Amino acid sequence: MTAGFLSGLFEPFHLPFMARALAELVILGALAGTVGVLVLLRRLAFVTDTLTHTVFPGVVIGYMLAGDGGVFWGALGAGAVTAVLLTLFTHRRRVSEDAALAMLLTTLFAVGVVLVSRRSGYTSDLTAFLFGRVLTVTAEQLVQTGVVTVLVVALLAVLRRPLMLRTFDPEGARAAGVSVGLLDLVLNAAIALVVVAAVRAVGTILVIALLIVPAAAARTLSERLAVIVPLACLIGAAGGWLGLAVSYEAAVHHDLRLAAGGTVVLVLVAMYGLASAAGFVRRRRALLRISHEVVREVEPA
Amino acid sequence: MIEETTTGQITTEQPGRTAALVLDRASVAYGDVPALEELDGVVHPGEAVALIGPNGAGKSTLIKALLGLVPVVRGRIEVLGTAPARARRQVAYVPQADTLDPDFPVSVEQVVMMGRYRKIGWLRRPSAADRAEVAAALEQVGLARRARDRFGTLSGGQRQRVLLARAIAARPRLLLLDEPFNGVDAVSQHALLEAMAALKEQGAAVVVSTHDLAIAHLACEEVCLLNKHQYGFGPTESVLTPERLRATYGGQALELRGDRVIVTRT
Repeated sequence: MTAGFLSGLFEPFHLPFMARALAELVILGALAGTVGVLVLLRRLAFVTDTLTHTVFPGVVIGYMLAGDGGVFWGALGAGAVTAVLLTLFTHRRRVSEDAALAMLLTTLFAVGVVLVSRRSGYTSDLTAFLFGRVLTVTAEQLVQTGVVTVLVVALLAVLRRPLMLRTFDPEGARAAGVSVGLLDLVLNAAIALVVVAAVRAVGTILVIALLIVPAAAARTLSERLAVIVPLACLIGAAGGWLGLAVSYEAAVHHDLRLAAGGTVVLVLVAMYGLASAAGFVRRRRALLRISHEVVREVEPA
Repeated sequence: MIEETTTGQITTEQPGRTAALVLDRASVAYGDVPALEELDGVVHPGEAVALIGPNGAGKSTLIKALLGLVPVVRGRIEVLGTAPARARRQVAYVPQADTLDPDFPVSVEQVVMMGRYRKIGWLRRPSAADRAEVAAALEQVGLARRARDRFGTLSGGQRQRVLLARAIAARPRLLLLDEPFNGVDAVSQHALLEAMAALKEQGAAVVVSTHDLAIAHLACEEVCLLNKHQYGFGPTESVLTPERLRATYGGQALELRGDRVIVTRT
């Protein structure tokens, strides 16, 4: 049983296309896990959701102009534009933020749908853009994902102190001379880059799970940022691996076709369930320990 | 930047020459909306001034103006002998603790270390000296034993003390506190007042907004009465009079008991 499970984790990836898919998902999981911690702490889930939808028309336009190779660059262009727009939006609180974002989200998404509906292979294209095709990832795409990952992680590492200060205490950050607007632009750009990198592997819709779920799982397991960030990174990567293995196992040995992207998300959610159960037990223990200490202080033995 | 800071320091080496804070017919506005008009006053190093006035009077706005975050539209504000935005490096701001997310995964020690960020920079690891400053600041507010605990597990008053420790660790020459005594227990209030007194003794000036007139009497040499306009600025004993307070608070109720003045907010 264990041997079967273990071989299921490794055996599929002897195939070159599976090895590339694995590398793509592990890198993406790690990247999204890291950026996701900031999304979680800044409560930017909705902003992120907006980004995933606004990148979609860019993907479509890129594909229409330059085929498969244009997808990345189209997504990159749309991601850059929306990162700037979102930063401006959230810094002018005139319109209710939610309403403005919802409008931006649906409008651009509709532009993408209208554009893609003009093509003959309509449904197949739409499915690919929305849910990704991880099994057809090429070596070149893998390099793109790798470059984006190195870039984003390095940027966040360099800016970790101002980012932490801004996330924890925005007024204090401004008072300390931190340029909050610029930092917000950097974070929005980082989120956009994750979405762009993830477009072909998991599609624009499922990437939000990659960003939110590992970070949320890591948060229930630890109170320390120095632990949460690597843990989220690890959970994201493990989710990618496990999800891909499950989807392969189901297809090859059980004649059950499970879409890789969706399976990865479901595996991540299952991991989140386990993490929050573990987190619950951990907090109960901590609570018990504290109450014991209080009792000891009140009634010295 | 570095030259500016050094020249700033040189001018203040001459004792009694540079005021910590000068307001000279200063008006402050958010865009076209005037927030505070015609402020006048001086605070010297080692002194504390209490900003007193009803909610919405512009106390927080004045603090933001002292940080250079809200523009001075007329007149002049000078902080440590220069423009507010240029003085920021030597000014520490203490926000109200309850505005911060209690779920944030950060330890007490890490919060205080944020006060050292400007000296540490972006990449360098905190040095032994930085750690010593953090420990000393926590000691000063009486929370050395809680250094490793998560910030959000502390009580409101203790969190406020941690934020003051963060400011202390920055070694400021001007300290700005926004309503630090709101909803704070007696123990924490005492600890905050002691730490403020210690900073003043080291030559820092303090600006503190508060509703508590007793604290103004206890801890501040100067008082600034604010409600859009200035209703008085000067030595606490001569400015905190029932007449002036009534004028500042407009229709709001006011009770006077002996030498303690209690403002009941409606």
